[in-house]
Amino acid sequence: MKEFKFLLAIWKANLQSVMEYRASFLLQVLGMMANNFIYFAIWIIFFNRFKEVRGWGIGDMYVTFGVLASAFGLVSLFFGNAFNLSDIISKGRLDYYLSMPRPVLLHTISSRMISSGMGDFTYGFISYALSGHFSPDGLARFILGTLLAATVFAAFLILVQSLAFWLGMMSNFTNLALNAMLSFGIYPITIFDNYAKFILFTIIPAAFMGAIPAEFVRSFSWQVLMELLIGAAVFLFMAVAVFRLGLKRYESGSAIQTEV
Amino acid sequence: MPAIEVHQLQKTFQSKRKAAGLGGSVRALFKPEYNSIEAVRRLSFQMEAGELLGFIGPNGAGKSTTIKMLTGILYPSEGEAKVLDFVPWKDRQKLAYHIGTVFGQRPQLWYHLPAVDTLILFGKIYEMDDRDVKLRISQLAEAFEIQDLLETPVRKLSLGQRMRCEVAASLLHRPKLLLLDEPSIGLDVVAKQHIRDAICRMAQEENVGVLLTSHDAGDLEALCKRVIIINHGQIVYEDKVSNLKRKYLTTKMVEVRYAEEVPAGFSINGVEILKVGHYGVKLRFNTTQTPVDSVMAHLSQAGEIVDITISDPPLEEVIAKIYQEAALTPVPSPAPQRTGAGGRRV
Repeated sequence: MKEFKFLLAIWKANLQSVMEYRASFLLQVLGMMANNFIYFAIWIIFFNRFKEVRGWGIGDMYVTFGVLASAFGLVSLFFGNAFNLSDIISKGRLDYYLSMPRPVLLHTISSRMISSGMGDFTYGFISYALSGHFSPDGLARFILGTLLAATVFAAFLILVQSLAFWLGMMSNFTNLALNAMLSFGIYPITIFDNYAKFILFTIIPAAFMGAIPAEFVRSFSWQVLMELLIGAAVFLFMAVAVFRLGLKRYESGSAIQTEV
Repeated sequence: MPAIEVHQLQKTFQSKRKAAGLGGSVRALFKPEYNSIEAVRRLSFQMEAGELLGFIGPNGAGKSTTIKMLTGILYPSEGEAKVLDFVPWKDRQKLAYHIGTVFGQRPQLWYHLPAVDTLILFGKIYEMDDRDVKLRISQLAEAFEIQDLLETPVRKLSLGQRMRCEVAASLLHRPKLLLLDEPSIGLDVVAKQHIRDAICRMAQEENVGVLLTSHDAGDLEALCKRVIIINHGQIVYEDKVSNLKRKYLTTKMVEVRYAEEVPAGFSINGVEILKVGHYGVKLRFNTTQTPVDSVMAHLSQAGEIVDITISDPPLEEVIAKIYQEAALTPVPSPAPQRTGAGGRRV
């Protein structure tokens, strides 16, 4: 409860910060929605031509893309610094968070709001509404699925970016990992063989961000829910453990910083 | 109980070594070599509660690294330290409730928000009561004369105004100890004076201990009662500031401007003439050998004085003298190798 109050205060400050530039905020939100639509148009054209890929149709794509976009948006909005954690570590900018009486990781990742995340988050719900799978209980599952997908996504970002404690500057690698997660997350999971699927549940856990939550949204299943819960818990645990281990190696720095 | 107890504290960094050029970069890729750099070497000292202690030294001396270990930001390689009875790197969160920190080069105020919003956020972070936060903000606003600045976005404040807000923010939760790392860096004379006065007043009124690192002798004189000088991660001098001044600040620099041209062959016994211009002279003398009165008398006799500035030698000179006495030759350049203000470790 104590940490939740603290998070609310940080998020409020983040919102105040992005609202300082209202025009930019609105442009980024609308721009990201347009961007998502243009990206998804290629799948609409594809499924117009082929109808189904190993049992996977355009409706499934709408749901999968919806969960993925909303989960991405959620992390961007509430834990925006998860995207540049490696930069913060390698440039010694953890000092600020370490000098405060709060959990370092939580404080760090929640201290930035990426405005365009609002566009992704909203677009995800629109995509789900257009999928043909919409129902009130489906919406509840969509929200839960998105929350769990966002947990895995944030955990994956933290895991990869925490490698900066050992390897130093690695923003190119983290971009690569981010793109892999998003690209594999949107592909129909039926096209992958078992080896590829193993990778999508472990090294690049894109299945937990797209296909599995989408399956849960389409129809309730205890097994899929447990898969999602266990996946989220395991990746979150690993992310926190690796970050804490890395923190002991943190070397700070003296690069002049001009803004928070 | 001492506020800070440090015993044989040590911090060693591993630094990658690379030969110059592309070839060096390629070799380092396949066969990296590392150097060990001792940023802090077996450092031991104490600071009493409520004491005002200056911690000075050149770039790369280990000042910032020491402060970062004392706040729990860095883990030491060896040694022990207790700050307000907490081991900083083990009890970081608990300790943070009782100390305030200001890193001159790292702002803590949110750049796009007015300072008051960050102060309110800090109130939540330090779990303060909302009414208490309001009361405290008005106290600090008065002490630091920032009433008119609080509602302006931080990005629109001058450096001096921002630093006043930064120091005020670090005192919001009524810390028992304030750790200031180069708080006056980049500030003009007036802004420095503002900050020093406010810190001094708050430290006295609230019995806050202050550990200050600085390059500026003025900060030391204005704020600190005791000084520790470090170089290469080791203490080379530790004494009261009054003793340091008595012992080392014995030289005065004088710049004089006259209404008429300076007489030809201008000289004063026991005084080193550094520069003679058409209307002005610059000189230096040792106050233990040549009385100030006699120098002033000679200067007045030479013509009508329109302006005069008397100053102490820069702190760097004093430190250099201390290094000479300690038979430690300061190594000028590879400052960026450590966590000092000079640059990022490589």
